[in-house]
Amino acid sequence: MVRNDVTIDPTFAEAFPMKATRVLITAHNDTWARHAAVAMTGFATSVIACGCEAGIERMLSAEETPDGRPGISVLLFSMSGKELAKQLERRVGQCVLTCPTTAIYAGLEEGEAVALGKNLRFFGDGWQISKLIDGRRYWRVPVMDGEFVAQETTAVVKAVGGGNLLLLARDTDAALAGAEAAVEAMRAVPGVIMPFPGGVVRSGSKVGSKYASLMASTNDAFCPALMPLAKKTELDVGTRCVMEIVIDGLTEADVSAAMRAGIEALVARGGEAGVTRISAGNYGGKLGPFHFHLHKLLGAEGGL
Amino acid sequence: MSAVQGFRLRLRAQPDFRVDLSPLQPAVLAGLDVVEVARLELRHANAHVELGELFDIDALSSEAPELRIEGDLRRFDRIGQGMDGGRLSVSGDVGDYLGAAMRSGDIVVEGSAGHLAACEMAGGRLEVRGDVGDFAAGALPGSMDGMRGGTLVVRGKAGARCGDRMRRGTVLLLGDAGDFCASRMVAGTIVLAGSVGTHCGYGMRRGTLVFAGPAPDVPATFAETNHDIRVMWALLSRSLSKLHPAFEGLPGREPRRVVGDLAADGKGEWLIAG
Repeated sequence: MVRNDVTIDPTFAEAFPMKATRVLITAHNDTWARHAAVAMTGFATSVIACGCEAGIERMLSAEETPDGRPGISVLLFSMSGKELAKQLERRVGQCVLTCPTTAIYAGLEEGEAVALGKNLRFFGDGWQISKLIDGRRYWRVPVMDGEFVAQETTAVVKAVGGGNLLLLARDTDAALAGAEAAVEAMRAVPGVIMPFPGGVVRSGSKVGSKYASLMASTNDAFCPALMPLAKKTELDVGTRCVMEIVIDGLTEADVSAAMRAGIEALVARGGEAGVTRISAGNYGGKLGPFHFHLHKLLGAEGGL
Repeated sequence: MSAVQGFRLRLRAQPDFRVDLSPLQPAVLAGLDVVEVARLELRHANAHVELGELFDIDALSSEAPELRIEGDLRRFDRIGQGMDGGRLSVSGDVGDYLGAAMRSGDIVVEGSAGHLAACEMAGGRLEVRGDVGDFAAGALPGSMDGMRGGTLVVRGKAGARCGDRMRRGTVLLLGDAGDFCASRMVAGTIVLAGSVGTHCGYGMRRGTLVFAGPAPDVPATFAETNHDIRVMWALLSRSLSKLHPAFEGLPGREPRRVVGDLAADGKGEWLIAG
């Protein structure tokens, strides 16, 4: 399928079930809410070695938060509920509890409860007090700027991780500009994060390696350097740079909406802008239960 | 589901002695017919009396289990005791133990209640449009915990020991409180629109008292903290402002905070917003 001189491959992105939660961080102003969220979602690009994938969903106005202060919504994804709980506790404990003026609340109502302030309260060394308001328990931990307020638990839900788009571009400048535009469009979609730096990953991986100890290694079929060397390449001579955008979402529909927004942004820019082809990564459809067919995402409008 | 879910009881004559009305549970009665309800046995002093001997009973067709009782019920104790669901309303005054240990549902009393109203209440909502006697939201004699959940709204005054040993839940008191309000309080929230008597917060361990009306005299066993409590105040005051129009202005105030009783841990707090 070719739209506005951008070729869209007849392929699909393959995604996996994950566990996810949303937390809301508020602070005295949005600068400090952002500081906490940036710290909390740092080193959380891939579950391969970070334990979780996390990102900022969006900024929240004072009217949208439980305590009427500016805030920020953060999504955390992990492969198991247990690992998610571990990552959440560490990250909230080290990055939110520590950040001036912050408070943290559950961002989801329904789902299995995992500890948010439940264990961090012990930092209060016995001075912590709890308050049950409208059926939700909050912990108040005395700290040097006053008190850290944290809801006792947040909810964990089943989610979808690993939706992706591959952007095949004429050169580095074109690839970056296209990826930035696509990520910006995708960030407007609720319920998703693009966990890699700036939302973009340049080291897309395949499963396995020639080295027995590695479970993932470079996606040689999309490496321009390996075009003449790899057993199978997806590239042609005009493609000198490939970027990938990975999407984790609370639901399959959220991931679809984000991928569609990304494709539409790239198509709107047109092939002239340098991103000439859009593809997606999969493992033959045998590993992940969620398949996002690029042509289907564009619907009948795509002119199949 | 049968069409009839509720009953209206009109008091015919005052009983000679006090009557225990605890068997009148809206959710339990919802499955019975008028004849069966009339045959319910109530404790009356050291004997029993059938409900039909004291009340005229009509069936009400309502969506949910409901019980409406009309008359002066000052000789009737334990109304709604242990109630678990449904709606119960009383048009006049009631005796002691109103809504004691109730777990869920809704009770509204147009008149006043005797002692121990909402004592050991665990859930639901109980509203008394008149006054309540002593030990409202408190503990039964010998019991370690008072009210442990739900919401008690008193539009009038409360007697002594309101919230004694209270552990959880919310009490909204629109009138004045008697002496020893929140004595030995373990946790929970009491919001006062009126004044309090002497020895408020005596032996209070944890929990929150919100003074929305006149500022109380702070006893020597309470001490002021000056830190920024705006986050917790926003959460609490926004919730309280929805519970009753009298508290609608709370979120805009900046309360003083004192902690105590320092003789008993000192983790209780008074938020003085008046």
